[in-house]
Amino acid sequence: MATVPDRTPQAEEAAPRVVGFLCDWAVRSEGLLSADDTLVGMPHVTVIRVPCSGFVKPGWLELALRSGAAGAFVCGCPMGDCLNREGNWIMEDRIDQLRKRLSRQKVDPERVAFFAFGLHEREDFLRAVAEFVDRVRGSGGKR
Amino acid sequence: MYRRLLLSLQSATLRLDTWINRVLPQDFNPLYYTGGLSNLFLTILVVSGILIFLYYEPSLEGAYASVEFLTRDVPYGVVFRGIHRYAADAYLVAILLHLFRNWFTDRYREARDSQWLSGMFLLVVSGFAGFTGYLLVWDERSQLLTSLTVQALRSVPLVGDRLARVFLGGPGVSDTTLPRFLFLHVGPAMTLYVLLWWHYVRLRHPKIWPPSVWVLFSLGLLFILASALPATSGRPAQPGASPEGFAVDWFFLWPYVLARWLAPGWALALVVALVAYGMVVPYTLRETPEQRGVRALGQAVVVEENCTGCELCYYDCPYNAIYMVPSPYPGKSRAAANRKLLAVVVDSRCVECGICIGACPFEALELPRMLDKDVQQRIQRGARAAAPVGS
Repeated sequence: MATVPDRTPQAEEAAPRVVGFLCDWAVRSEGLLSADDTLVGMPHVTVIRVPCSGFVKPGWLELALRSGAAGAFVCGCPMGDCLNREGNWIMEDRIDQLRKRLSRQKVDPERVAFFAFGLHEREDFLRAVAEFVDRVRGSGGKR
Repeated sequence: MYRRLLLSLQSATLRLDTWINRVLPQDFNPLYYTGGLSNLFLTILVVSGILIFLYYEPSLEGAYASVEFLTRDVPYGVVFRGIHRYAADAYLVAILLHLFRNWFTDRYREARDSQWLSGMFLLVVSGFAGFTGYLLVWDERSQLLTSLTVQALRSVPLVGDRLARVFLGGPGVSDTTLPRFLFLHVGPAMTLYVLLWWHYVRLRHPKIWPPSVWVLFSLGLLFILASALPATSGRPAQPGASPEGFAVDWFFLWPYVLARWLAPGWALALVVALVAYGMVVPYTLRETPEQRGVRALGQAVVVEENCTGCELCYYDCPYNAIYMVPSPYPGKSRAAANRKLLAVVVDSRCVECGICIGACPFEALELPRMLDKDVQQRIQRGARAAAPVGS
């Protein structure tokens, strides 16, 4: 593990840390990620590939926020087309619940998001991530 | 070669989805509901079939006349007959789409072979029921189909004559033939529901119905088709006549079109060979997950100390791969100390999707090669813990 240089508040403001989970069967991941699991062109967005979006524990998203990320997202397959039939519906429900829990804890629920993009929708996926990063800018590092 | 073809077909299938999703909202994409649409058309077939059954008379003299009576004199009889005919075609289109979609998107392998096999049986039985439906009208086409079928069955070695006898309900076409055909139409239709039970038994919450907008659209389309292009009979069957051609329903009668070039026996053999190939499709590609470009994370494992018997994983598993059994001993963690139930993973059903891990709030389930603590580490590395947890 290379040591990470401390990031200045200015850097955090420009490119807030985001942790995302990407389903293996959703957006094609060839050439999408660089060696340290960040999105190519967006080094502040870490993406963890998972076997199905339904694998993600809501607690993991909370952990990401608690550890200093400005936002956390899950990307599954298009609704209705989950390889495992239900994973993305289940995950969407769990995120709804998590948002309620977050707002009870006075955390902005908009800091977690669910996306649904298929194999060929890389551009749409990247655009959605960029928009999400814009939305959560300035939320990181505090709790 | 075959694998490359499958991969490009998968890519094409998903690209088609993307296009449809641009036009329609994602949850209304009909390609996501091919199974539900099949079930919808099957239900329409059963309901319209019961209405037709009320008027049908299974006898050599009465069959044709009773269908004509239904078509001409019964109010809306022609519509119901048309709906029964076109819903059958739509049903076959829907199940073929369902078959190819699941084939091309890899949803038939390993733990899902039982759905594929039951699906092949459903396809065969549906095709057979559709074919016998054309015999019941007892017009010239029915007569020709009967004689071709009898020829095909007779050419089967050893048991051919007996098969033909079973098919006709006697040594030749007689008074017992049409009751036999009626049974061969309705019996398989009922068998479909037994097979559907097999088709669904390993699935939790199967999607068996399309969104209501598609129910209404399909019903409307069938009504329009049935009224605009009424289903008709040919000339009545005549004993001793040997009709030559007939209007072909390509969906159900294609083996009989082959009979123009092939001996009926060979056409039958071809159908049997196709079905036999269909049955082995899930087992043709023996690749390791690595060769398929899929990470094998190992089947879900229950961490017995932590399981509280809360059943959340049991409700979320899409494959019914988790059973709750009476807990043989208490768990170790505080939450698990008084559990009544324990989750057990059925290995042969688990596809390693990890949905149960996401469902479990007690850290009692793990995928062996993607452990919770490793994921947590990666999350923290990604988030670069700015503040200690809980501060």
